[in-house]
Amino acid sequence: MAFAPMGPEASFFEVLDRHRASLLAALNRGGQEPPEQGTHVASSSEVLASIENIIQDIVTSLARKEAPAFIIDNRSSWENTKFEDSVGLQMVSHCTTRKIRSDSPKSVKKFALILKILSMIYKLVQSNTYATKRDIYYTDSQLFGNQTIVDNIIDDISCMLKVPRRSLHILSTSKGLIAGNLRYVEEDGTRVSCACGASAIAVPSNVQGIRNLITDAKFLLIVEKDATFQRLLDDNFCNHMSPCIMVTGKGTPDLNTRLLVKKLWDLFHIPVFTLVDADPHGIEIMCIYKYGSLSMSFEAHNLTVPAARWLGLLPSDIKRLNIPKESLIPLTKQDQMKLDSILKRPYVTCQPFWRKEMEMMADTKVKAEIQALASLSSDYLSRVYLPNKLKFGGWI
Amino acid sequence: MERTALAVCEILKYLIIHWRCEAEISKGALLEGQLVISIEALNSKHQPDVLHCVTTIASVRNICGSLVLKNFLKEIQSILHRFSAKLTWTSEKSSYSRDISGITPFKLTFEINEKPRTLMKDCLFIKHFLHKIIIVHHKVRVTLSVKVNGFLSTESFGVENEPTLNLSNGIAIVVNCRHYVRLKFSTAESHCSRIHPVLGHPVRLLIPEDVAGMDLLGDLIMIPAAALCPSPKIFSSQLNRISSVSIFLYGPSGLPLMLSNEDQLSTSVFKDTFYFIDWKKYHLCAVPSVDLSLDKDWLLPDVSYQVESSERNQSQNMDLQGQTLLLFLFVDFYSGFPVQQMEIWGVHTLLTAHLSAILMESHSVVQDTIHSTLDKILEQNDQATKAHQKLQASLSVAVNSIMNVMTGSTRSGFRKTCFQALQAADTQEFETKLHKVFCDIIQHRFLHHCSCDVKQQLIPEKTDLAQSTEDAHEHSSPALLAEIWQAEHKRLKSCSFRQGEKRAFTASPGTEPPNTSPFPRVEEIPTTQDGAPALERGSPVSGQEDALWLQEVANLADWLNPGSGEGS
Repeated sequence: MAFAPMGPEASFFEVLDRHRASLLAALNRGGQEPPEQGTHVASSSEVLASIENIIQDIVTSLARKEAPAFIIDNRSSWENTKFEDSVGLQMVSHCTTRKIRSDSPKSVKKFALILKILSMIYKLVQSNTYATKRDIYYTDSQLFGNQTIVDNIIDDISCMLKVPRRSLHILSTSKGLIAGNLRYVEEDGTRVSCACGASAIAVPSNVQGIRNLITDAKFLLIVEKDATFQRLLDDNFCNHMSPCIMVTGKGTPDLNTRLLVKKLWDLFHIPVFTLVDADPHGIEIMCIYKYGSLSMSFEAHNLTVPAARWLGLLPSDIKRLNIPKESLIPLTKQDQMKLDSILKRPYVTCQPFWRKEMEMMADTKVKAEIQALASLSSDYLSRVYLPNKLKFGGWI
Repeated sequence: MERTALAVCEILKYLIIHWRCEAEISKGALLEGQLVISIEALNSKHQPDVLHCVTTIASVRNICGSLVLKNFLKEIQSILHRFSAKLTWTSEKSSYSRDISGITPFKLTFEINEKPRTLMKDCLFIKHFLHKIIIVHHKVRVTLSVKVNGFLSTESFGVENEPTLNLSNGIAIVVNCRHYVRLKFSTAESHCSRIHPVLGHPVRLLIPEDVAGMDLLGDLIMIPAAALCPSPKIFSSQLNRISSVSIFLYGPSGLPLMLSNEDQLSTSVFKDTFYFIDWKKYHLCAVPSVDLSLDKDWLLPDVSYQVESSERNQSQNMDLQGQTLLLFLFVDFYSGFPVQQMEIWGVHTLLTAHLSAILMESHSVVQDTIHSTLDKILEQNDQATKAHQKLQASLSVAVNSIMNVMTGSTRSGFRKTCFQALQAADTQEFETKLHKVFCDIIQHRFLHHCSCDVKQQLIPEKTDLAQSTEDAHEHSSPALLAEIWQAEHKRLKSCSFRQGEKRAFTASPGTEPPNTSPFPRVEEIPTTQDGAPALERGSPVSGQEDALWLQEVANLADWLNPGSGEGS
């Protein structure tokens, strides 16, 4: 390493180190890693065979004068998920399904589009090439209508074939950024160093393909918003808190950002903290990193980091730090509905402190963005708030 | 129209009006009986190239009841004031020449000299007049016999066991397509055999002061009904285009308002094709049609337009049969009082002479009701076209995708299994068969229900005009029924999601398990308040068949509201 930035003294990380030790102990108590369910990395020949089997079934049913249909798991239903503290939200093994019929006016188009994307995947896998979801959409944007339709079908196919998106040779465009004490080699041999500078490194589009990851980081900080992430970079936060890693998914994280966070946790077991707005949307994003999303619950074991902790901004911080009222925003009706729905989720029962914070937000009926801390001082976040939280264990 | 035709048509109109009044036909009941018209023509002994015609109008049973000879002759002769021939009436009392066929209760005869060509034309007029009558009085049978110098030609008018659409006041439209257009052979598969009229709301007609001339006991109303003919099946493999418009005008008692003779009636208002219908709204362009040839087997419209699309390029559809937009305009009394015979006759005379003026006076409301009726019928047509295009596009994508995998596969076992399944020798044959079988199966699921040879019953939609409570309770519009059915179907669908099946692929067999079929079972068919299907009473078969049409309409709605894009 040419130059290692000077971070705080070793004693600064005492609480962090104890936290890491407790996480490792918990892992050891739990024995092996949780058994893998849902998708598994499939070989190309397995994917090709799966698609051929589907086509063969369709042809056979047509030969029997029966209208073919796909049966797809209901990914976006709470009834089809179970919560496991060690994994997060997981799809149940016997979940309810949807039938995509070829003879129903409502679903014939979707039936055709599933077949279309299956045939495209077949070609990608066969030729060992990759495409993004955006590439697929633009092959016939008029036919697909919008990107969301393509995204949903790809996730449906992934769920139907029980293989991760990567095995389908479909990449998602990364929007996430990473910075800090991390080096790795990309699939094509490119060496990447995320050492803090003025700019960050884009999260690679093939996270599964990166290798030789090296880090001395004491913690990984997930920052909800790009603006806050950039501000921390400008404030040289990574160097002041060195060694550490910062990641942002720029709002709701894409698959690659989640895969990368998961990979870093799996490899290094360093504490993962989240810095989100003190509002229901921020809490939702944090939950996605920690417990996963409803629609991708079938791939939870590849994506969730249940060890992640809520570092800030806590609703209790608003009162504790005496943040001026002018910097606070009243909760909207949508906010309140969202908060209510989060409070009803299964994982909140095992997070009494989270519940308390959320109830506080519901009682005060106000929310605050991370930038509200700037009302105390412009660099309060990077110089005071985060260092104190990290030093004294201000996470929940 | 020459003298014979004029006399026959006017006498028939008089008889039917009297018949209805005499029988005190209640609302909803249909006129029922049989008439015989015979024209016997022989070369005149006195004039060359002239036929001496003896025309007889008779009824099989006594339909005229208390018709008083003296009054009848007086009235009919005042109606036919330009008609010089002597009318001879034979009633049951005055005639004992009852023959075995029983044709004696009423018998009216007149003799007249006509040129052969004129007689031929008269016969065609009479034929069309009778056709127009039986279209709305389908329980009336008329036999027309023409015997010229010993050569007899007999034609029967009447519709037996044909589907009808009941209107109010004892009028029903026969909905078999063959009455309205000549169907091309190729059209039979892709189009329904009957029309599916949509009723508009009744509107009051204003009578201009200068043409009123008589005291009406009640207001006049106009009810439009529109239909496309031939009616496309929902998933027709052919695109539909409207090529013509036929307007049929009916007065009180369901009698034709005009006799296909422009001299008889002022119809100038219809010469301006845009006067009542803004064709631009429908992306159509209409011009008056000049083809009013009588020599046709189907119903001759009172007004006819040729239509072209102002948007679409029709060149590729030239081989296909264009659709005719049928527009029926029924003028009737809106009165709580029984209408007298002479009043009906008076209104007919008034309308025959001043229809244009009356419709112009009521331009705004007439236009509104016609537009709303056309909106409904053309929207359905547009939906059907879009649905068809969507289906074709989806099938094409599905087939191409399967072919891409097939042709790209290197696994011979997979290809062989697929070829064997469709009994194809090579890739090309496989593709052809795949497309055909896919089309057949999917279209069949929607098409096979469309055999609508049954009776149906509709009433106009709710309007500002008060309707009888009884009517409102006893009938439902198809749109409403479809809506009810859809609501019920959604409820059933919401129950059918819990399948718990864990297979990535399945096929929908012909026999569906309960609650999984997109089609309503008979027990799911919406019923009226009293639990019976909202169709003509005492006809369980027709109930099922018509409900299937409602299902087609409901399916059509599904096409336009894709929602989440999933079937049940």
